Amino acid sequence: MSHPIEAEGLVRRFGDLVAVDGVDLVVEQGEIFGFLGPNGAGKSTLVRMLATLLRPSGGRARVAGYDVVAEAGAVRRSIGVALQDAAIDPLMTGRELVRLQAVLHGISRSDADRRGDVLLARVGLTAAADRRVGTYSGGMRRRLDLALSLVHEPTVLFLDEPTTGLDPTSRLALWEEVRRLNGEGTTVFLTTQYLEEADELAGRIAIIDGGRIVREGDPEVLKGAVGAHTLVVAVPADQEAKATDVLSAFGEDRAAKAGSVAIGLTGGPAALSGALRALEDAGVSVEHVELDAPSLDDVFADATGRRLEGAEAGEVVA
Amino acid sequence: MTAAVLDPHEVQIGRRQALAQARALAQRSIRGTLRQPQVWLPGLLFPMFLAAVNTSTMGKAVEFLPGFEDVDSLLDFLLPASITQSVLFGGLTAGSDTATDIQTGFFDRLLASPVSRTSILVGRLAGASVTGAFQAVVFMLVYGAFGVRVAAGLPGAVLLIAYAMVLALVIGGFAAMLALKTGSAEAVQNVFPLTFILLFISSAFFPTDSMSGIYESVASRNPVTWMVDGMRHQVTVGLDWSEAAVSIAVAAALATMAIFGAQRALQARLRRAA
Repeated sequence: MSHPIEAEGLVRRFGDLVAVDGVDLVVEQGEIFGFLGPNGAGKSTLVRMLATLLRPSGGRARVAGYDVVAEAGAVRRSIGVALQDAAIDPLMTGRELVRLQAVLHGISRSDADRRGDVLLARVGLTAAADRRVGTYSGGMRRRLDLALSLVHEPTVLFLDEPTTGLDPTSRLALWEEVRRLNGEGTTVFLTTQYLEEADELAGRIAIIDGGRIVREGDPEVLKGAVGAHTLVVAVPADQEAKATDVLSAFGEDRAAKAGSVAIGLTGGPAALSGALRALEDAGVSVEHVELDAPSLDDVFADATGRRLEGAEAGEVVA
Repeated sequence: MTAAVLDPHEVQIGRRQALAQARALAQRSIRGTLRQPQVWLPGLLFPMFLAAVNTSTMGKAVEFLPGFEDVDSLLDFLLPASITQSVLFGGLTAGSDTATDIQTGFFDRLLASPVSRTSILVGRLAGASVTGAFQAVVFMLVYGAFGVRVAAGLPGAVLLIAYAMVLALVIGGFAAMLALKTGSAEAVQNVFPLTFILLFISSAFFPTDSMSGIYESVASRNPVTWMVDGMRHQVTVGLDWSEAAVSIAVAAALATMAIFGAQRALQARLRRAA
């Protein structure tokens, strides 16, 4: 049997802009595959191609065993899609939307009602099922969006930045539901710009930047490959050069935000006190120190030379 | 049997499923309209208000102006005009709602489903058409309360409803075409003044016999005149199938053009995405 998602040399151009530039991808049956990258990296464009909403400019892809161009209709029957910004008609109730989605998938009215009740209960919207969606919170809309994408029991589920803009509680609830779905055998393709989300949910990830996949694999393996802990030291702007010079003896230079110097601390946490002492001896005023275990942000930085926006806070040691 | 689909890469959808999809989308369209009274209520109230002003300021004109020979009261004369005005106003909703679906991403949700692309358009226009019938019934009931009787009786009332339904396809089709071309609800709403111009340079509010010069020339060539006059005959004179046929045939021809245009716009949008 073929893989749930396969892409080979997938390209999408918009005029001169190459949004997706030769992506090769294989997603295994029953896994949660995280697709991580900053805004504008090409994540949504790739999802739209795999979901048959956008035709590739080059390359080919198969989803659920069907070609996304030649067999688009069969792909649509097999996949569930929750796109960015939960596009839901605010004038309809949750129950009406579930019924509509069921009819669009050729499900009978009686089956649609039964399945709708189950799905609405599952995403915790039974009490709100007969309220207009315009009165729902952002989290409720996302959960309804998820329920709508599951009406026809898809084998492959695409979630495009499903938790963007959600509060932490709603985010955790959605993560739990994604895990549960995956536990039942649904293959999940999840795009996100949140490192923590990819780390929490995905069994494998790909990092995309500038339309190209720059890293792919098991998150733990990728983080391990980055190597050392990252030491980030905030110093006054006029002392950055001196701090960089001092710290170069303790590990290789890494990408850091303005006002900070970062290195891969070769000796790990044990070398921290030595590094700080060296800075003090050199007369550098240390304003803030972080020692981070290797993270997906480090993997991203290692691959691109930049940090992802919204990287999680590290371990503050001073 | 399978229904024709617009997307060459779409798996063919059975006719029964395509019809079920169109019906469900039409229901959504009607519900959406009914749940926005701020959208449909002005379309009912404004023509009534205009008719009330006209009858109170010019009600006696029917006694001496040419073109009013068959008319008992100005309100009789205005019933088809009010229905036309209301449907032209309301039919734009089919376009602005389509544009809103595009802007919010709901259109993409539909496209990501195995829905016949034709059903998306048919559902929207069928919803507009049913709304048009509702508008015609409301006007006949309200004007009836003020003494207006359709001279052609029940068949005439049915013809007025049928006319309103086809007219809704005309304006709904053009509005949907514009929405699919631009993806902008604002662009659709900007057409609103044009419908007014079409209406006022026609026999909707004055008979062409009482017009002169270029105004008469334009009005007598305006399809709105041909449509309204045929329906007016059913209200003021009595049942006349040939008059009704002209009116509905003109509307049907325009509806065919509008739907064809909307279908082409849908194909173009799908090609652009591709």
